[in-house]
Amino acid sequence: MAAGGYPPPGHFLGDLGFRTELLGDTSAMGRTRVTRFVAGADGGARAGVLATLVDVVGGLLGVRVLQPDWMATADLTLQLVRPAIGPFVEARADLVRRGRTTMVIEALIFNVEEDGTEVPDPEGASAPVAWSTTTFAVLPGGNRTASQDLPFGLPPRLDIGSAGLDQPVLDRLGISRLDAAGGRISLPVGPYVHNSIRGVQGGVMALLGDAAAAEALGAATGLGASGVVVTDLQVAYLTLGRAGPIVTRATVLDGGGGLGGEGGPDGGAAGSAVVELVDTGAGDRLTTVINARGMAAHAFGASRPSAPAGWPDGAPLPVAP
Amino acid sequence: MTPPTPTGPAEPVGPADARHYMSDYFRLERWEIPPADGAEGFSEFGGRMPVDGHHRGAGGGLRTGALLTNLDSVGGFLSGLSVLPRWIVTTSLMATVTRLDHLGPLRVHGRVLRRGRNSVVAGLEVVDEGRGDALVAASTGTFAVLDPGEMNVAFDRPAVVPMPRPAPDPPPPEEFFRIQPGVGTTTRLELAEHLRNPWGILHGGAVAVLADVAACRALAQARGRDGGPDPSGTVAHLAAADTVLHYLRPARSGPVEARCRVLGGPTGRALVRVAVHDVGADDRLVALGSVVVLAV
Repeated sequence: MAAGGYPPPGHFLGDLGFRTELLGDTSAMGRTRVTRFVAGADGGARAGVLATLVDVVGGLLGVRVLQPDWMATADLTLQLVRPAIGPFVEARADLVRRGRTTMVIEALIFNVEEDGTEVPDPEGASAPVAWSTTTFAVLPGGNRTASQDLPFGLPPRLDIGSAGLDQPVLDRLGISRLDAAGGRISLPVGPYVHNSIRGVQGGVMALLGDAAAAEALGAATGLGASGVVVTDLQVAYLTLGRAGPIVTRATVLDGGGGLGGEGGPDGGAAGSAVVELVDTGAGDRLTTVINARGMAAHAFGASRPSAPAGWPDGAPLPVAP
Repeated sequence: MTPPTPTGPAEPVGPADARHYMSDYFRLERWEIPPADGAEGFSEFGGRMPVDGHHRGAGGGLRTGALLTNLDSVGGFLSGLSVLPRWIVTTSLMATVTRLDHLGPLRVHGRVLRRGRNSVVAGLEVVDEGRGDALVAASTGTFAVLDPGEMNVAFDRPAVVPMPRPAPDPPPPEEFFRIQPGVGTTTRLELAEHLRNPWGILHGGAVAVLADVAACRALAQARGRDGGPDPSGTVAHLAAADTVLHYLRPARSGPVEARCRVLGGPTGRALVRVAVHDVGADDRLVALGSVVVLAV
């Protein structure tokens, strides 16, 4: 089911599948299944997938809080503290500020069962697997450019879903590798990844940055993308990606050898990178900047094999012609 | 990123007071880099800071809170000049820190990534000149655009703020920033006048230093409580690194408390959530963020 026509059938968000629920006026939750098709090198949901989850939940809460105004994601941070192995992950979001021009939401993400029962950490304690914040720019309702069918009258509980993924999410998105060492990968743009105002959905951009950082850090450390878990994303959305393809380029700040002398692949750190996302169909316009950090999968707590085919399990990524 | 030769005294017009408290303490030099002749766009900005002994942390180099203060100063100046005659206030800082063992001096280069009607986004990179310009941090700052009211926003252009001389007996950051341990994983800051920015509110850099100190202290406390490798609860071998800070509301009253929660992480690395409250203003939440604390 979608609300007000978004997301449409056959959309990326539907393929991931979410159950969302408003919990009063200032809180909301969203839950999605962790399948092998959304897993990263640690067997847990990729940081970019979790970023999509918090963007969706934050957007849901924003609709409630801001109406009749609208919003656009301005920045998003997500930091993993352990693998998000599920079987489901649940983002619990709270409004922390509603100003005239911005709204800030904080979310903690937990491993849960399908019914929301929390899965304790290895020590048996209740602990989140990730922490996240999202800042939304408030768009005055009178100047709204979104479709007329946007869902102001959201029901308190909403399921977004379709048949689900039958291949790794990066493959489904049609992402192709241009140059691993340079963190250059390419995303085609179309209705599958559109948000409600026909730009590329913010979570997709975060996921693209996640994948590009894994490529660059994997090349820099020799671990390969399949050996790197991107644990931290700091995403600044500058302008919408509309035309496409969206192509990334990455600058590796360090290949894991910096922090406190503990780094390098053997020490577990895979380094950090700045990833820029440019809209090549719009004059190479810079749309998004992402600071990302990675760890070697073995050091972060790789827990189970990931998807059997395609990224990130070693099978070759389709290379752009 | 090489600094230009200063073209002459270019101190800001008017009294150099609250606009320089933080940069004076950390001895931050700043210079505007105007667009090339005839080019459109915004000025870029450079900055350089020494790594004085009393600013070094457990990682051996400049403490991350100090680094963020300087990033805030450079990013704020850069962004402010791009929106004149209006001015800015910091709303968020996000920094990825890749080295803690700086030799120094550190050099910052900043540029406007986006200037909108209500906000400016700046991208900043930091290199360690003592290590052959090795990249040590990357940061993104977001700044809200405001009417400056009575604030003096007149500057000679291109703007240059020379590096302040060393103070004869500089206090350590905890003393300068009036930071004291609180109860448990809470750390307090007294809102002294010199910690206010030109808007009259607690400087964003002070919040960054508080978050650094508080997060390290919280992890030490948690380790001590849990009988971990540092049962004494000291911060001697802990250093703050990657940091996210959202400035939600102005802190005007004080005292200010950073209340921390250790969220966990792999060996040698812990993520600490930091919520900053203005106790004297109905305990309202004024900043929220996270600090990655490393065992060094």
